[in-house]
Amino acid sequence: MAIDARHVSKSFANYVALRDVDLHVEQSELIALLGPSGSGKTTLLRIIAGLDTPDPNPETAVIVDGQDILDRSASERRVGFVFQHYALFRHMTVFENIAFGLRVRPRKLRPREPELRRRVNELLDLIQLGRWSGHYPSQLSGGQRQRVALARALAIEPSVLLLDEPFGALDAKVRQELRRWLRTLHAKIAVTSVLVTHDQEEALEVADRVVIMNQGRIEQAGTPDEVFHHPASEFVVTFLGNVNLFHGRVEAGRRVLSPEANGQTTRVFVRPHELEIERRQSSAASVAARIQRIQSAGPMVRVELTNDQNDSITVEMTHEKYRELTIQTGETVFVHVRDTRVFAAII
Amino acid sequence: MISHRHTEAPWMRNLFIGASVAFVGLLILLPVISVFTEAFRKGLAFYFTSISDPLAMSALRLTLITAAITLGANLIFGLAASWLIAKFSFPGRNLLLSLIDLPFAVSPVISGLVFVLLFGAQGWFGDSLSSHGIQIIFATPGVILATIFVTFPFIARELIPLMQEQGAEEEEAAVLLGANGWQIFRRVTLPNIRWALVYGVVLANARAMGEFGAVSVVSGHIRGRTNTLPLHVEILYNEYNFSAAFAVASLLALLALVTLVAKAALEWRIRAEERPAVMEEVV
Repeated sequence: MAIDARHVSKSFANYVALRDVDLHVEQSELIALLGPSGSGKTTLLRIIAGLDTPDPNPETAVIVDGQDILDRSASERRVGFVFQHYALFRHMTVFENIAFGLRVRPRKLRPREPELRRRVNELLDLIQLGRWSGHYPSQLSGGQRQRVALARALAIEPSVLLLDEPFGALDAKVRQELRRWLRTLHAKIAVTSVLVTHDQEEALEVADRVVIMNQGRIEQAGTPDEVFHHPASEFVVTFLGNVNLFHGRVEAGRRVLSPEANGQTTRVFVRPHELEIERRQSSAASVAARIQRIQSAGPMVRVELTNDQNDSITVEMTHEKYRELTIQTGETVFVHVRDTRVFAAII
Repeated sequence: MISHRHTEAPWMRNLFIGASVAFVGLLILLPVISVFTEAFRKGLAFYFTSISDPLAMSALRLTLITAAITLGANLIFGLAASWLIAKFSFPGRNLLLSLIDLPFAVSPVISGLVFVLLFGAQGWFGDSLSSHGIQIIFATPGVILATIFVTFPFIARELIPLMQEQGAEEEEAAVLLGANGWQIFRRVTLPNIRWALVYGVVLANARAMGEFGAVSVVSGHIRGRTNTLPLHVEILYNEYNFSAAFAVASLLALLALVTLVAKAALEWRIRAEERPAVMEEVV
């Protein structure tokens, strides 16, 4: 079911968490709210869930499936919520954790025991933890706990699913697995989902659309491709992965890394993989730089350099290219922008 | 857990162990033994006559009634206060925290006197109380009030750190799953704090049955009516009725022992419940 949050503001005693934010999520979409800590993404999620209330404003609305749910209490909203630290009921087994939302229903709406068992077992199969149904949360690994938390949230057949940094407490490998698993799961059950994360890689990989937040405002919303290749602001550029900043110029739509003859400069952003190293200066668009460090463990080789203004530059290249170049730490080489596409109109 | 790092010299360890054993023996074990030897000095028959004396029985009854009512009141107050302090922030929160500690800081005799000043015949509410025929001081209500006052920190103090550590996330999860307030308390909060709660009750109970100072001031020492066990022991002792005094004291000591056993069993239970969790954390 579609979510439409309008004119949402929230201020706490000494800072403003959200400034008049509008968020729209399509039916069955999985969007990621991406931003640094303090950007307001979790506050927005908690307001949608009903755990926080927005600042009073007659224009503020949170519309789910065509109905404003702002007046409803958190327990009446039927929202699935997954916490960063799982928040599983520690004294209940995995089975009882998942069954909780069904057991607390008013008698008339509560499924009978066989029906309840069937539904919980179905969810246990979905998260592939059938064998663990009698275990307690403390006996599970972090990844398993988060899957139980997800099943528990899905048990109430939520209208929307909200995930607050769900993989934040897990180690890198488990994170990877769970991300992919969440993607397949979402394809299967297609519940409208909002995922909060500060990890840009996670957001770009998992989400249909990414909403980038900063200081209580939405900086940009779009598909992962759009926000990565057409960032709308300097913040988006710098937040989505590593980026080099040059005091250069834009000439006929091309980024040039050196300033104009009269010394006037523009800020030019270039990602490490868009830069190329050459041994001999091929054009005036190249700038000289000294190699400080080469890191060749990983899918790409990372070379860190400094130019004559002592700005640090990072270049990423394939291992083949690296072997071809035979560069070494301490050498002086030339750096230029490989592709000719203009990065962003505003820059 | 026992540490296996023996960094200190053996003679030092033995010295500390010896000092601790001597201390416990001299100050705790010896007095307990002496209570029972003195109690049985004039024989079993005298012992049972002493403790089945109507005045002793009435003191025992008052002590048990006081303890029961005190625990009920403290249970409600302790739960409510801890819930408030641990899960919410509100103006006056720190003040409430300090007030909870007040009975630990104030001498019990002073707290007894405060109740006399408030509810006694010459006290602030003395006139209006006596005009309605209500007597608090030198009567059972006074004894109960004073006992509640000196014991109310125990349960709250036990629960607050635990509830703060557990945070409010499980409760939030329960709300979002559709649970109402009572269901959250009954199914989520209470099971998470149950052992700490029982532990607090045990401690408060021990203090409620043994309280002397505050109760002594408000009770008026009316035999057969407002005497609790500790007060009765004092009266018997002051009348040079030593064996009877020790016999009644042995009742109190027995109640304390039961409390101790309950406390030890609880600690064992809590540890047994926590152990598998810690060990299987790595699975």
